[in-house]
Amino acid sequence: MTEVSRTVSTKAILLGNEAIARGIVEAGCLVASAYPGTPSSEILPAVAKFADELGSPMAVEWGVNEKVAFEVAAAASFTGARSCAVMKQVGLNVAADPFMSAAHFQLKGGMLLVVADDPGPHSSQTEQDSRYFAMFAKVPCFDPCSAAEAKEMVFDAFDLSERFGIITMLRPSVRVDHCRQDVELGELRPPKGQVKFEKEPSRWVCLPASVKVNHPRLNAKVEEIRAAFETEFGKYNYEVPSREKSVLGIVASGVCFSVVSDILKEWGREDVAVLKIGTPHPLPVKMVTDFISRHPKVLFLEETYPVMEMQLPDRTGILGRWNGVVPGAGELLPEVIAGILAKILGMDQPSGEGSSLLREALEDLKITPRKPMLCPGCPHRASYFSIRQALPNAVNPSDIGCYTLGVNQKAVDAVVDMGASVTMGSGFFLAHKAAGTERPIVSTIGDSTFFHMGIPGLVSAVYNRHAFVLGILDNSTTAMTGGQANPAVGDKLRKGDEGRKVDIEAVCRGCGVTFVRTIEAYDVAAGKEAVKEAWEHAQSRSEPAVIIFRHPCMLLRPQQPVVQVKVDPEKCIGCKFCINFFNCPGLVFDETRSKAYIDERFCVSCGVCISVCPHGAIAEVSEEGK
Amino acid sequence: MQYVIVGIGGQGILFASKVLGKIALERGESVIGSEVHGMAQRGGSVISHFKVGDYRSPLVMAGEADILLAFDQSEAVRNLHFLKKKGSLVVNVHDRKALENASLAGLVRDREINVHSLEGYALLKEHMGGNFLFLNVLLIGAMCGAGISGLSFAEVSRAVKELSPPKFQDANMKVLALGAEAICSGR
Ligand code: SF4
Ligand code: SF4
Repeated sequence: MTEVSRTVSTKAILLGNEAIARGIVEAGCLVASAYPGTPSSEILPAVAKFADELGSPMAVEWGVNEKVAFEVAAAASFTGARSCAVMKQVGLNVAADPFMSAAHFQLKGGMLLVVADDPGPHSSQTEQDSRYFAMFAKVPCFDPCSAAEAKEMVFDAFDLSERFGIITMLRPSVRVDHCRQDVELGELRPPKGQVKFEKEPSRWVCLPASVKVNHPRLNAKVEEIRAAFETEFGKYNYEVPSREKSVLGIVASGVCFSVVSDILKEWGREDVAVLKIGTPHPLPVKMVTDFISRHPKVLFLEETYPVMEMQLPDRTGILGRWNGVVPGAGELLPEVIAGILAKILGMDQPSGEGSSLLREALEDLKITPRKPMLCPGCPHRASYFSIRQALPNAVNPSDIGCYTLGVNQKAVDAVVDMGASVTMGSGFFLAHKAAGTERPIVSTIGDSTFFHMGIPGLVSAVYNRHAFVLGILDNSTTAMTGGQANPAVGDKLRKGDEGRKVDIEAVCRGCGVTFVRTIEAYDVAAGKEAVKEAWEHAQSRSEPAVIIFRHPCMLLRPQQPVVQVKVDPEKCIGCKFCINFFNCPGLVFDETRSKAYIDERFCVSCGVCISVCPHGAIAEVSEEGK
Repeated sequence: MQYVIVGIGGQGILFASKVLGKIALERGESVIGSEVHGMAQRGGSVISHFKVGDYRSPLVMAGEADILLAFDQSEAVRNLHFLKKKGSLVVNVHDRKALENASLAGLVRDREINVHSLEGYALLKEHMGGNFLFLNVLLIGAMCGAGISGLSFAEVSRAVKELSPPKFQDANMKVLALGAEAICSGR
C-alpha cells in the first residue's frame, strides 16, 4: 500500500486504483466486495484502508470469486445501501450471469461496478473491452481519462445508479488504474437513504414474467440516460476546440484522450479539435454527430474495441477501427497514436523504436526484453520440478496465477481461465479413455484459484470418476496480484475483522477425494514420490487424487533456512538440465565457459537447486567457503 | 520534467516514483505517471513513467524523457529511445565489458546523452553487506548526485526518509549518500 503523503492542502499522490477507492469510501458506500485481478487488485485494500482512516462503518471483503463479489454487492443494493463490486475485465466474464440479470432490476441503493480493463494486455488472457459488456447488459458506463477523473466519476456513478435504479459501470483501463497522480482528498459523506429490505417479489425475483416489464423499462432507461449524458455531464464530455481552422476532429475516450492531448500539445498543432467522451455508453449521439458535422475528417480513439464507433448511426467518413485506420488489437500507446496522427496529418514521425544505431546495439549485445518468471526461491518451481521428474510423459494443464509462468519450466501445457486446470484434467482423461489410450495427467492450480472456481470441477471429476492428479500449489496468498489473503489464509481486510480459515485438505476430502497428501514444496524427493503414488491411486481407482504442495510465497518473505549454494565448475558438465527444467533466475549459464553459475544478484539461497543437478555439481557452500 | 525508470521486476523501481511524487507534492507541482503491477513484476522488464508539470498523459513518449533512471544496464540500452537529445542516463552497471559496443557509443555521442554510471551491486556488497534491496535508494542517490533532476539532496533525503519504514531509515540515509558520492567521485 502506498503512503498517502499529506500536505497543508488536501491533495495526495495516489495510484488510480487508490483514487477510485477513496471515492468509494467518501461516497458513503456500505458494502464493497471484490476478487483480486490485475489491474484492479489495489482497489479493495485501499478501500479498507481509507474506510479505517475515515471511520466508515462499511463492510469490505474479498469474495471467493467475482460472481460472489457481484452478488454480495447486488443484494446489498436491494436493501437501499450503496454498494460496489470490483474486478478485472475477465472477472466480469465470471460475474456475467448476475450482471446480465441484475441489469434488468429497478435497484434501490446505488450500485457501482468497477471493471478494470487491460489493453495490451499486460497481465490477462484477453484484452476485451468491458464497455462492450456494459452495452450488452444495457447499463451506463464511465470511462475515466485519469486518476483524478476516475475518483470524481465514482460519485456521479453512484448518483446516476440511484437516479435510474440501474447498475453503473466505471471502466478504468490499466493506465488509469496504475497511473500515479495528485488527487484531491475529501471527507466521508453520510450514507444515503436507509437500509431496509422490502419484500416485493415482482421486483427482486427474476421470473420470465418480470422480464416482460423490465426489459422495455431498461430500454427506456438507456434513452433517458443518453439524454442526460448529452446535456448534464459537461465535466466529462466536452470539446477542446482548435484555435485555427480545423483540419481534423478527434473523438477520444478514456486514457486515449490524455495521450492525444499531450501529443498535440507537444507538436504545437492548433488545427486539431478534440471531443472528449467520458460516458461512452450510452453514447451522447447528438453531441458526437454535431462534432462530426463540423470537421472535415474525424478520427475515433478508444480502447480496445470500437464501442463509440459502433453506436454511430452512420460511420461514413469516420476514421477508426471499422476501416483499419486504428489497429484492431493492442494498446494505443503514445507511439501508436502518434503514428496514426502523423499519417492522417501527412507528417514525418520517427518510429518509436529509436535509431538504427540503437537497433544495431541491441542486436550486437543480444539484449531482448526480460520475460516475467517465477521468483528465485519460488516454491512453485520446486513443485513443478517434482511433477515433471515423476511423470515426464504427463499432460500438465494449469491455471491462472503466478504459476502460469511454469511454462518456463516446461510444466504448463494448457491454460484457459480460472479453474480450467481441473476441468481440463477431466477433458484430457475422457478423450484418452474414449480413444482407448492412456496418459498420466497432472494438473496444477493455486490455492486462491482453487477456491475461486476449482471446486465445482473437482466435484464433477469425483462424481464422474476421472483419473488425474491435481496439484494444489498452496503458497498461502494470491501472489500474482500482490499477495491478497484468501479463504486458505483466513485474514480479512478491515482492522478488527476476523475471518476463519478454510482448510483445503478438508474441502478436498469433503468433495469425496480419497487421496489427499500435503507435502513441503521444497522437498523435491518427497514431491516426486507423492506424484507417482497419487497417479497410481488415481489410475487404479479411476478417481482424482490431490497433492497439496505447501510453502509460503517468497513475497511474504518467509523465515527459512539460508542455504548458500555454488556450482562446482569441475563437476558441472554444461548439460543445461538445470536451466531447461528448473530455470531459476539465480542460476544462469555462462555460454563461453559452458558452465552454470550462481548469479548472486538474484539467488535467495533457498537451496532447492542442490537436488536438481543430476551430476551433483550444485552444492551447499561449506562453512570455510563462506 | 519527464522521467523514465526501468529495471527488472523485484528491484523496487516503484519507490523512485514515490519519492519524486512526494517532492513534487511538497513543491505544489502536478504529477502524473504510470507504473507496472502484476505479472510483469515477476522478474520481467519493468518500466515506470513519471511526469512533473502540466501533462495529461501518464506515459512518456519516445524521445521525450529528460532522465532515464536504469536499475539494470540491459534495460537501460533497451529503453534509450525514450531519452531526448542531451538527456541524462543514470545506470547501474554490473558488467562494463558487456556494454562495449561501437553502435552504442555512436548513439550516445550522436544523441549527446549524459551518462552517469555506478556499480551498484559492488557498492552494496562493499558497504551494505550485499543487501541488494537497497538498490532503489542507491540509484535515487546517484540521480541526485548527478545534479540533473533539479532536486536538492536535502529535499530528496527528506522524502526518502519519510517514505522509509522506521527500521530502514538510517540505512537508507547511508545508502542515499553512498549513491550520490559514487556519482560525484565517478565510480
Ligand atoms: S549445474 Fe548440473 S544440471 Fe546445470 S549445467 Fe551443470 S551439470 Fe548440468
Ligand atoms: S539456491 Fe538455487 S534455487 Fe534457490 S534461489 Fe539460489 S539459485 Fe535459485
